[in-house]
Amino acid sequence: MSMVENKTMNLDKLKPGQECKLIDVHLTGANGQRLMDMGFMPGVKIKVLRNAPLTDPVELEIRGYNVSIRHAEARYIEVSL
Amino acid sequence: MKNTGEYIVAVAGQPNSGKSTVFNMLTGARQFIANYPGVTVEKKIGIYNYKDQKIKLVDLPGTYSLTSYSLEERVARNFLIDEKPDLILNIVDASNLERHLNLTFQLLEMGLPMIIALNMIDVSQNRGFKIDLEKLSEELGVSVLPTVAKKGRGKDDLKLLIYDACNNKESYQNDFMIDYGETMENILTELEDKIAADNRFAGHLPRWMAVKLLAGDPEVRTMFSGN
Repeated sequence: MSMVENKTMNLDKLKPGQECKLIDVHLTGANGQRLMDMGFMPGVKIKVLRNAPLTDPVELEIRGYNVSIRHAEARYIEVSL
Repeated sequence: MKNTGEYIVAVAGQPNSGKSTVFNMLTGARQFIANYPGVTVEKKIGIYNYKDQKIKLVDLPGTYSLTSYSLEERVARNFLIDEKPDLILNIVDASNLERHLNLTFQLLEMGLPMIIALNMIDVSQNRGFKIDLEKLSEELGVSVLPTVAKKGRGKDDLKLLIYDACNNKESYQNDFMIDYGETMENILTELEDKIAADNRFAGHLPRWMAVKLLAGDPEVRTMFSGN
């Protein structure tokens, strides 16, 4: 296990069970706003719970509740492990 | 139909806050469905009497936020701006406080009298949360009442609080302001002054408009650029 510190990645690359910290949301407009409304803010912890059978959506745990988003959106969420 | 002397209370809350359950708890069977003018969004209205006072509850669409990106959000916020209800009853899920406060803050920025029903307080306690009600109330400048609407708990207290708030609006009008930090506040102040001096925006809260402008709100931007 090599721990990569300070290296950021996109949330859609994480596997179920992995946890990360949100660095930035690179989405604007309605989608970016909705993610912020759901609590996707820099510094918040996110845990990837599971992928749906057909890969989309991905279920996440954030701030004590579960949210499902598409991988297309998760791709624009920058996180660090 | 006598329509005089009724208090209008807007019921606002995020999806899954138990908004409908609180609504039903307060109004029982006296409900009817209308539409918000010009849109296909359902407008649920409920009426009850309290101490010879007619109280009319208007159920705002359940939204996570009050931006202008979705129709429901526009409907909710335009109702608050245009109709200026006597009171906002904000339903907050006590077991998901952090997420629900996002809407609470935005409601507070509308500058209307407001109270909070902290719903599902039992679920929250079962999850091991201890919410300091007095502290929360003090920080927000809003009366906070714990309820378990599903079991009818808090009904009488809530009715009393709504009645009292409608009768003493000034004391429930809060001056809560989010401090957006020095850089932002300087820009906001400048915008507020410009907005306040512009008679096109009479009747709008300058600070609210300034905040929405900075947030890039499409509808408010349109108000500015075109007529």
